Amino acid sequence: MSENRHFTTRRGFITGMGFGAVGLYGVWAAYGAAPLPFGNHHETLHQGHGDAAGTLGHAGADHDAGSAMTPEAFRREHAAFVDRFKRPDGSVEPVAGQAVSHDTGHHDMNAHDMGHHDVDAHDMGYHDMDAHGAGHHDMNAHGAEDGHDMSGHAMSHTAHGADADQPVDLYLLAFMWGYNPDILRLRTGVRYRLRMMADDITHGASFQLGAASRIIRLRPDSVSDQIITFTKPGTVLIYCTVYCGAGHDQMQGKIIVTASEQGGQP
Amino acid sequence: MNAPLPSLSDRVSALPGCDKALVRVLFGASLLALALGVGFGWLTALGRAGVAVFEPQQAARLLTLHGVTVFFYWLYLAQTALLLVLAGAERNGGGLALRSLAWIGGALMLAGFAVSEIASITGTPLLYDGGPALGRDDPAAVGWFSLGYLLLGAGLAASSASAIATVITRRNGGAGGALSAVGFALFAWAGFLIVSAIAAVNAFLPSVLWALGRGAFPANQPTEWHILFHNLHYLPLMATVVVWYVLVQALTGVSSMHGARFSKIVFASYLLFVPPTSLYHMFLEPNLSETVRVVGSLLSLFVAVPTVMAFLIIVSSLEAHGRSRGASGRLGWVGALPWKNPVMAAIACAALNLGLGLTFAFVLIQEKLAPLFSDTFFVPGYFHFFAVGTVSLSFLAAMMVVLPALTGSAPWRPALLCRMPAVISLGLLIFGAAGIAAGYAGVPRRTFDISYGGGAPALWHTLMTAVGIGGTVFALGLTVLVLGVARSLLPGPKDSVVQQPVVSWGDTPLRSQVAAWTGPAGVVLVVVAMALFTIVAFDLMNALPLTVIGGGGHSH
Repeated sequence: MSENRHFTTRRGFITGMGFGAVGLYGVWAAYGAAPLPFGNHHETLHQGHGDAAGTLGHAGADHDAGSAMTPEAFRREHAAFVDRFKRPDGSVEPVAGQAVSHDTGHHDMNAHDMGHHDVDAHDMGYHDMDAHGAGHHDMNAHGAEDGHDMSGHAMSHTAHGADADQPVDLYLLAFMWGYNPDILRLRTGVRYRLRMMADDITHGASFQLGAASRIIRLRPDSVSDQIITFTKPGTVLIYCTVYCGAGHDQMQGKIIVTASEQGGQP
Repeated sequence: MNAPLPSLSDRVSALPGCDKALVRVLFGASLLALALGVGFGWLTALGRAGVAVFEPQQAARLLTLHGVTVFFYWLYLAQTALLLVLAGAERNGGGLALRSLAWIGGALMLAGFAVSEIASITGTPLLYDGGPALGRDDPAAVGWFSLGYLLLGAGLAASSASAIATVITRRNGGAGGALSAVGFALFAWAGFLIVSAIAAVNAFLPSVLWALGRGAFPANQPTEWHILFHNLHYLPLMATVVVWYVLVQALTGVSSMHGARFSKIVFASYLLFVPPTSLYHMFLEPNLSETVRVVGSLLSLFVAVPTVMAFLIIVSSLEAHGRSRGASGRLGWVGALPWKNPVMAAIACAALNLGLGLTFAFVLIQEKLAPLFSDTFFVPGYFHFFAVGTVSLSFLAAMMVVLPALTGSAPWRPALLCRMPAVISLGLLIFGAAGIAAGYAGVPRRTFDISYGGGAPALWHTLMTAVGIGGTVFALGLTVLVLGVARSLLPGPKDSVVQQPVVSWGDTPLRSQVAAWTGPAGVVLVVVAMALFTIVAFDLMNALPLTVIGGGGHSH
């Protein structure tokens, strides 16, 4: 009988069709998201608008999405970060080129973005910079090479000869039931290293970006980091996506993104 | 082909009275769980739509009760009852082996049901995964909640052991002792249930010990839960496929044209393909290594292989027999099926909902897209196509065949019940389309008040209103169907069972070179839809005003 069977009723055909979903690999590959190098065209990975570093996933140096930073070091850096960059209205606006402390307890990622001696020596708080452009002089005095006008609040990392691609460090701590800082002021076109951790139980940090959101899950005492770059100005709602108790629905923060005056190279 | 056996109804009718009593209790408890769970779910949907307002703790409790009652107790009590009754039917009048173990298993499961419900009503809401971190200040709640699942797991293991013993000691007098395809499937299904029961012990015993002050805080529970959960949501799909095999034979007389051995290989492949594919649940975990992400992504492509193959075996066998009987046109054989039988309507809708569920499941399992969808309403949006539209409809369809044979009492108003699968599927379509769109838009899955002080997009509320409407429609349809099926649990007049329409295609000689394109065309359609919605997701992600390097995926 089997030799008289139409091929659609043969076991081999049924078996082959059973693997039909594997064909989805082609779509993954077309978007540079295939898990194996086969058919994976990384030039198509870029997302957003022109940031060559921006990818859909885990490319670049981040072979492990988790950070090597210890929870203790995170807490220390986070406190210093908030303390240094807090504005009178309670929001936090990080400034490039300024480190938050001398002892990060974590040198693999911060090796080139320290500049803290300049910062500490001249007390380059946000308002000083805003009013006097002090950072410009200090940074140039220590070997800045880019020569850009550092107007605006976010500056590229040029202190101590670090290259201009070094991201600006951000720290976000999730807790029951809020984020600290709960308002961040950032700039378009600036690369930020967003370090995040949950303080008590698992939380989420979802960035509402208009048409969709981008989610990060935060485990307690596990530091995550991502390099992020905003490409458009606007207000981004941050909300928790992991149920975390009675106040979960109210757990939110926001990022106010303003345009860099020189297309991400302030 | 299976050896000739009396009809399923006859074999079920021939079960010993004590076995009938056990499975009636289990079917009854499962229907109670479904009715309760649908009620909790409906309230949840109204809360999400903003129609009903609940205090945060109340809302979390509703969500917990919905998940616990439906996902654990409806699906697993129903599976156990079906497993036992089908195993007993395979033994053709011999009844259950290790009967006392089956009764102990049933009792443990019912005890677990009671404990879980009480713990969910009275304790800190832990959601259905019973995460101990939420109850760190309420160890008693964590302990009782986890104990409920341990009792369920123990009951599953005991009942499954009885089912295994039953199918391997079957006496059907015609197969020379070899297991039939269905018997083998029952064996594999029961084995998988036992493995899952062991996984439940790993996940929840540490919580109980911690609550008793005899162990450390169960910090690993989320990981153990992922492993358990992955098995738990493929087990009902495997059970569904087994049920389809049995029901299609009962409705049409057709069994697999590809032979019992091929079917056995497909059923065994669940054990090969499902457990290793669990990694995709953890893509969002912050410390997951790149190697695990790569392996997890690759394996996830294979997770549906057994289900798709089983679907194709059934559909191609049906189509070949239908065409051999003279059905013409592309779908003429479909039109010749017994559509006035509510069982047929239910499994047909189940197959369509399976296609929808698979389409969106494969968008979710792409690791790079996990940060877009994980923990959003995309997840409940798509999985209700499986949980309600595929699995629940199939189990209820099976009950419409089995319960009258057990009790001699007919389902209530079969003509009305015949329409309910379509009503449920329509509600699901609204619920799923709105929920999946809400997921694409970023609506969180477990947040009732999504206003965020006016910071959330207005579209979110519109979509969640549609979710509430769809949820109401399918909850109504399910309620009618459950009541109709439950009627046949009660004693009725001796002659109350009217044979629902069936066809008899099984004895039709297969024509040479008869083609069966419908199943493959359906698979192609689903794969194209998977690709389309994956492309939409990638394009959406690429258009976001944020570039990201690093980060990770999703859980349930």
